[in-house]
Amino acid sequence: MPLIELRDVSVDFPIYNSRSRSLRNALMARIGGRLAGEGDLVTVRALQDISITLNPGDRVALIGRNGAGKSTLLRVLAGAYEPTAGSAVINGRVSSLFDLTMGMDAELTGVDNVILRGVFLGMSIAEARSYIPEVAEFSELGSFMHLPMRTYSSGMRLRLAFAISTVRTPDILLLDEFISVGDESFARKARERLERMIDEAHILVLASHSLQTLRAYCNRALLLDEGRIIADGAIEDVLDRYKGGAA
Amino acid sequence: MSLFPTGADWRRAAKDLVEGLAAWHIWTLLAFNDIRQRYKRSRFGQFWITLSTGIFIAGIGSVYSFLFGQPVETYIPYLAVNIVIWGMLAGIVTDSTAAFTQAGSILGQQALPKTIFVMRVIVRQLIILAHNLVIIALVFLLFGIVPTAAAVMAVPGLLLLAVASLPAGMTIGLLCTRFRDLPQIIQSLLQVAFFLTPVMWHVDQLGGRVPYVIDFNPFAIFLLLVADPLHGHWPGIGRYVQALAIIGTMVLVTAPLFARFRARIVYWL
Repeated sequence: MPLIELRDVSVDFPIYNSRSRSLRNALMARIGGRLAGEGDLVTVRALQDISITLNPGDRVALIGRNGAGKSTLLRVLAGAYEPTAGSAVINGRVSSLFDLTMGMDAELTGVDNVILRGVFLGMSIAEARSYIPEVAEFSELGSFMHLPMRTYSSGMRLRLAFAISTVRTPDILLLDEFISVGDESFARKARERLERMIDEAHILVLASHSLQTLRAYCNRALLLDEGRIIADGAIEDVLDRYKGGAA
Repeated sequence: MSLFPTGADWRRAAKDLVEGLAAWHIWTLLAFNDIRQRYKRSRFGQFWITLSTGIFIAGIGSVYSFLFGQPVETYIPYLAVNIVIWGMLAGIVTDSTAAFTQAGSILGQQALPKTIFVMRVIVRQLIILAHNLVIIALVFLLFGIVPTAAAVMAVPGLLLLAVASLPAGMTIGLLCTRFRDLPQIIQSLLQVAFFLTPVMWHVDQLGGRVPYVIDFNPFAIFLLLVADPLHGHWPGIGRYVQALAIIGTMVLVTAPLFARFRARIVYWL
């Protein structure tokens, strides 16, 4: 059963300036004491004491101003960031569509990139290969599939990336803004496909600034401010609070 | 913040290692893509690996056979074997420095075992080695050298080298992600190591003096382990003991380091 459970999760980012990042300084700090005047290690607390449980059926909106911690929380949910404190249990196959073209390589052909991206999505090579015709059809790339990706326009790249990234429905779907790709006709097709994926996924977490989008797809909302959850509840209640200027 | 890994850290590190090794299809794919991408638009493609090593051996071989007063027909085969294997040793160390930083965008948004990216480096270097083996074959053919039965011992030697590369690559990759001066430091030290390792010279030329240059030099130990069989010598049992001791030491250093700081790699990127 897909499930996400965060308990007292905090995430601290160490900010290394070029001074504290060098080995010389780390050694000197141990041996000779800190150099006067210069800052020690600065840490930014991106998330603080986050405790949430997401169950199947939850369609969660992440709301908050820029820098509130939405993207960081998504990355914790994806398992990429292991929390600095607290515990994160993530059960189920996660698909994080933050950067669609992640891991793709401009020198490789469309076909090679489908395999590469497919493997990152957790497929075997044979499985990824079996999706090539489907991806070629959906992305409408035709014979471009056999050309290096550097010959593509940026729209074509996104079409390819979108087609392979959405070929299989995950248990847990994480989205940083609702994805919109391509020209009008493709965008409509893509929206339908994404909506189907959202429907089929057991858990959805969607970060967005568009309240209209959030209302359309979500039933629960988390309001973040300075790395803390300040409201968690039914989407309308939380949106009211957000609009009322709580954050 | 403790310097020692907790029980949970150990469990997650073990999981990373097991799942990372099991995801062989990812690291082989990445490694092959690395090679393909590097030579994609050149006419000779990946055979530039072979070609450039060949040119280097021909050049250095002629000069040093003259300087050392050694006949070309024995010195060049000797050098060819050594250079090719040194290339693998140095390549693993150099590439490991960027193992994690190179994969920054992937690690930042997906939960993938870190082990995958170290294995990718090792496989990438094995592919390069495979291309360079052609040179050894050509040189042996050219100078009419027939490998002896001892040559089979190059295989276990190479296997030990690959095993040693995993903890070495993990430690180097991890430290180089945290300390960005380290890749440069390692690069400079590697140049010194090249001259301290019997790549261009013979162990005999030391004349029994300063044996620690060999015995405490991991590069020399692993080089000799693979190269000696190809030169027609059976490596002594002592060499294997040394290699295993190095692997053991590296595991003892790497295991707690990896367990404690594995999860921090993403934060350092």
